[in-house]
Amino acid sequence: MKRIIFTNPTAQKMYDDYFARVTRCVNILSATDQQELLMELNSHVYEATHRGITGNEVDILVDALDKLGAPEMVLQPTVAYKKVQQAGRSFNPKHILQALYLNIANGAGFFVIGIIYLLILAFGSLAIIKLIAPTHTGLFLQNGHWFAFGYTSNLPNGLIELLGNWFIAVVIVLMGVFYFLNTLLFRLLKKR
Amino acid sequence: MYYICEMNTEFVQNWFSQVKKGTLSYIILVILDRKEYYGYELVQEIKTHTTLEVAEGTLYPLLNRLKTEGIVDSKWVEQESGIPRKYYTLTDSGRATLIEMKEIWSALGAAINKIEK
Repeated sequence: MKRIIFTNPTAQKMYDDYFARVTRCVNILSATDQQELLMELNSHVYEATHRGITGNEVDILVDALDKLGAPEMVLQPTVAYKKVQQAGRSFNPKHILQALYLNIANGAGFFVIGIIYLLILAFGSLAIIKLIAPTHTGLFLQNGHWFAFGYTSNLPNGLIELLGNWFIAVVIVLMGVFYFLNTLLFRLLKKR
Repeated sequence: MYYICEMNTEFVQNWFSQVKKGTLSYIILVILDRKEYYGYELVQEIKTHTTLEVAEGTLYPLLNRLKTEGIVDSKWVEQESGIPRKYYTLTDSGRATLIEMKEIWSALGAAINKIEK
């Protein structure tokens, strides 16, 4: 992006500060998207300040930036939307979590995705815990009735653990199933 | 006894804000149907032809969205200043969408006129 040069140092500082804020707002996006948004706003500021009106450079720039709005407000919807697109393409968990954070206001759908991600993390943890505390982790029945699935410190008499080491395989399958469900839900929300 | 009924300003403002939100994409498509515009020029065009107080920054997220939907296309055009302009045009799909939107708009207008009579 070509930087606009102002003759007035105050105007130059204001411009640089504004674009430092823009850069901070968009740095979560891919390099191409960042460049696109920076160039677009830069072009707008250039056109707004170089349209042949005479006057104090600072006043003209203040007016242009004021009409354009604070970068944090102006860019929020675009950044959130582009992040969802990027996450939808890559399915990189980091991008998905960033998209969730940016779109938390989009409601229940993203909240459900967040909960499912927590479940995936919990199942992953259980696989590790099974290796550390095998007798306390598993699918437990007591007198033929469900007692617990996961970790329990309480091991009363008559408790049977059904899965043994298969417990690890089961939680890994569950992680896969929930990951698949989340992917489907995410695609569905992205299409809205 | 007389009652003075005052307009509910807040309600009207909220309603108008929703109307603006809903019609801005339609207005953009109508303007772009004539010729291609770059962002700043498009904002000025909207301001010239409507009384809508459009926050200039809100236009870009909308244009981005329209581009993702395949309704508008954009291209960067280099300028002597070294600061390029991003020109927006309607795609074929955008033109077809606009025809449909015009029909809906006209039907809605007719329905409202009918109710008001």
